[in-house]
Amino acid sequence: MDNASKIAGMRKSFGKSLLYTLPMFLITFMFMTGGKPNFADPASGLAILTAFLLVNVLYFFMHYTGKTDRYRAVLFIIFALSLSYTLIHNMLEVRKSMSFSQADILECKIPFCHLVIPMMILPAIFTKSIIFPGSIIGGFANISSMIVLWLVATLVLGRGFCSWGCFYGGWDDGFSRIRKRPVIKKISELWKWMPFAVLIMVTLSAALAMMPTYCSWICPFKAVTEFEQVTSVESVAKAGIFLTLFGGLVVVLPVMTRKRTQCSFLCPLGAINSLSNKITPFTVKIDKKACNECFKCVGVCPLYALTPEDIKAGKVSLFCSKCGKCVDACSTKAIHYGIRGIPAGTMKNFSRNLFLFVSFLFMAVFSAGSIISTFQGLLKLIF
Amino acid sequence: MTDSFVLGLSSGSACLATCGMVMFPYFMAGSAGVRRIAIDLFLFLLTRFVIYFILSTLAWYFGQALFSNPVVRNIIPGILYIVFAVMLVWYSISKNRNPNCPAKIVKTVNNKKLVPILLGLVNSLGFCPALFIILTKGATQETLVQSYFAFLAFFIGSSLWFLPLPLAGKIRKKEVLKNIGILATGLAGIIFMIKGLTNLIGGIING
Amino acid sequence: MKKVKIIAGISWAFFCLILIIILFPGLNSFSVSVSKLPFMKLNPRYTGGEIANQIIVESCTLDIRKPVFNGFLKEKNSGFVQLDWHGTIPNTIKDSIDYDHDGNKDFCIFIDRKDSKTILYPINKKVISVLISTPTSYGWAVRVELIK
Repeated sequence: MDNASKIAGMRKSFGKSLLYTLPMFLITFMFMTGGKPNFADPASGLAILTAFLLVNVLYFFMHYTGKTDRYRAVLFIIFALSLSYTLIHNMLEVRKSMSFSQADILECKIPFCHLVIPMMILPAIFTKSIIFPGSIIGGFANISSMIVLWLVATLVLGRGFCSWGCFYGGWDDGFSRIRKRPVIKKISELWKWMPFAVLIMVTLSAALAMMPTYCSWICPFKAVTEFEQVTSVESVAKAGIFLTLFGGLVVVLPVMTRKRTQCSFLCPLGAINSLSNKITPFTVKIDKKACNECFKCVGVCPLYALTPEDIKAGKVSLFCSKCGKCVDACSTKAIHYGIRGIPAGTMKNFSRNLFLFVSFLFMAVFSAGSIISTFQGLLKLIF
Repeated sequence: MTDSFVLGLSSGSACLATCGMVMFPYFMAGSAGVRRIAIDLFLFLLTRFVIYFILSTLAWYFGQALFSNPVVRNIIPGILYIVFAVMLVWYSISKNRNPNCPAKIVKTVNNKKLVPILLGLVNSLGFCPALFIILTKGATQETLVQSYFAFLAFFIGSSLWFLPLPLAGKIRKKEVLKNIGILATGLAGIIFMIKGLTNLIGGIING
Repeated sequence: MKKVKIIAGISWAFFCLILIIILFPGLNSFSVSVSKLPFMKLNPRYTGGEIANQIIVESCTLDIRKPVFNGFLKEKNSGFVQLDWHGTIPNTIKDSIDYDHDGNKDFCIFIDRKDSKTILYPINKKVISVLISTPTSYGWAVRVELIK
């Protein structure tokens, strides 16, 4: 246990940590097994058990060590990898290719992803219809259930969705942790506003073209999920853009800067989620009295959400995704999880416990399906 | 029309970012009533509309004369799109963005009734990369009506930013809007760069 | 006032806690409710439009859908008409289509399913080209580009 955790008083005893983990243990057990564990298929049983132990051990350690980010990141990165694995595995099994066919588009069989949501808004208002070739209800990743999941998560977590719920964020989060020190240390403040510019452009262009332009032309994660068949010059250009943006914003820049550059400089949904930070109950607070202005938190923030000015003013910016990196880095317990309405510097443990339960439960249950199926696939590969 | 509208919308924000400081004080005009502000704004937008109408006609006739060969019709505008798009992207990332707006000269005019018309004039004739792009587009349209529609979409997109001008004094985070506008301009530049490359490759393949 | 704020904040946080707990067990019923909202239907640009005419020859059925010109605020100048063949489809398809129901054929289409070859013979000037011609889970589908 390091000094910071002790000072922060977030660390709990072994027994107390177990007690705090118990509700998570019971709820995740119910969700992962449906209340009736079935070990008839050993691979499936072992995969469920591994996933179940993984999430609960991570949650236990969050309480036991008083640290948040490192344990969150483990599950977050596994979530991103497992979702890509599951999608690619399914596609290769069913279609023998990572690309979707014209028939999949015509039959509206494309899985819906939360990044489409900003582009749906204007057409939904003006044409009362959805501009996406997916299934409204029923089937894998249908539009209705994805909207419900995103809506509730955004209402509850705000931009916390980007660190606790997004199944892509783990990619650049993972790459941003590879180097110990950043090679590129300073990036202009101006770029922080890029997601809003992208949001405006894709919202308008999608409405006018009646197609989800971000998915068709920009989304870097097409490189690790599914994309249009390469059959024309246009589709070659699209594939080139997907791969370049993935390589640049998800791999190279996060490694060079130790920041989540795709989330910070491109994602239009992140822009909407930032705005929802204004209404969520959970926040990150700065106790100005306890702050010694060392600005360690500014340096570690992966989303450029903190500046020295913010710290001096005693508030985090709307870009905060509540990942907990700054909270873990603070040696004077000045920066901490809080609840709207409760003054900074008070009820820190209560706020953290409540926030961790809510956010971790969402991530654990949301990620369970793909993690279990990935473990299953890996077990089948090994044995 | 989609890309013209998006171009207008993005460049309008950048235009407002550089010229807004000259226009805000005039349109806000202290004690001026809503009616006067509305009339001035109408005159300002009408002047822009008329100028764009003239420019779209001229651009199309020039296009007819210059780009009669179908291959040239793709390759030359393709190159122009790329050049102007690069200028647009450069504008958005450059730290030395020129803060001087041609609208500043209007401040020296004594006849206040002429001010909104002159503002509209200098605003629409302030030859920026976005206007060059739309001129290229107008010049390469099949018919004059299509050229008018391209300019109309550009006009509507860029005008949307001026509509809340009388309320400008009440907007608190002007710097944030300016930043977003500048970045959106850069994105529009990238869109037109891709369009230019598509034209160029298409022209070369067809040639 | 401070106390009211604290109580409101904690209440809001606990409400969110309950929301997250019931989210996953209730996801299906929440999703069904959302799917019933007026805007929750796919745009005809994606569904292919409503079926306007059905031609049945022996055990093969051809659905001719309504032409789709849907745009954002107004109809677009270019659109498409979708044709779906299902049932027992012959290896080569040759059909003449009257998509606007004016009594005159607008185009002929020839499809060789084995070679995935599709040839369009436009009769009406508004018929432009084949946008998509593909095998589907139910048979074969074609989208033909139209202008107004």
